[in-house]
Amino acid sequence: MTETPAGRRATRRGLGIVALGLLGLAGVYVLALRYTPMERFQGLPQKIFYVHVPAAWSAMLAFSLVGIASALYLWLRDPRLDLFAESAAEVGLIFSMVMLTTGPLWGRPVWNTWWTWDARLTFTLILFFLFLGYRALRGALQDPGERARFSAVVGILGLVLVPFVHLTVYLFRTLHPQPIVLKPSSPSLPGEMLRTLLVSVGVYTVLLLGFVMTRYGLGAQARLEGGEDAR
Amino acid sequence: MPADPNANAGYMIAAYIVTAVILGGYALALWRKAKGAGRR
Repeated sequence: MTETPAGRRATRRGLGIVALGLLGLAGVYVLALRYTPMERFQGLPQKIFYVHVPAAWSAMLAFSLVGIASALYLWLRDPRLDLFAESAAEVGLIFSMVMLTTGPLWGRPVWNTWWTWDARLTFTLILFFLFLGYRALRGALQDPGERARFSAVVGILGLVLVPFVHLTVYLFRTLHPQPIVLKPSSPSLPGEMLRTLLVSVGVYTVLLLGFVMTRYGLGAQARLEGGEDAR
Repeated sequence: MPADPNANAGYMIAAYIVTAVILGGYALALWRKAKGAGRR
């Protein structure tokens, strides 16, 4: 079996999963807007929660995958791990863009400000810039081995930052709310809201899987055909 | 409940549109790249 059909197969399957994920996203919109009660104090802007929190979850998951694949690459030197890390980093940046645009849209009506330099927001922005740097680094290095090695180190640094971003709300005084699901005690959210959130997290995770698979397949095809990458 | 439950609805609408544009746009970009790669 040659690598081109495998890359094409991954691309095709990935696109199928993305299509399912986009349908699911439409379902989440209906569920959030039609079948989930409005929060008592914030009103409609609270419904941004159902697109913002899953975006943050997906971005952090993608960046964690970059770090894990990078560490494995430095150990095993398998170029597929480097390609996977590159794909997950790009997808993580996409979800970060959703997180960093929907956050201020929620903050403005609730905190009365678009942005504040508190620890959670600032470290999330630093993580975003770190992975923009990761992409820039990959674009600047010509030698594939050197590119994979150097970017793996940056990917691991990103992985180190992910749990720290999660813990900022405990370590510092911040405006950002503390976790309501990913915490030692049980989720502090009414049942219908929790249901919609979990459905949305599931849909975003399906999208993440589809995006990474498609991007990986495109990268595999590009590498085999002589191009350096699928950007 | 706020005095007007629909107050600030524009922020929510904007957030939902931005999300759909970013995720849908990226999906479209990947689909176009895949189409181009399939032709080669």
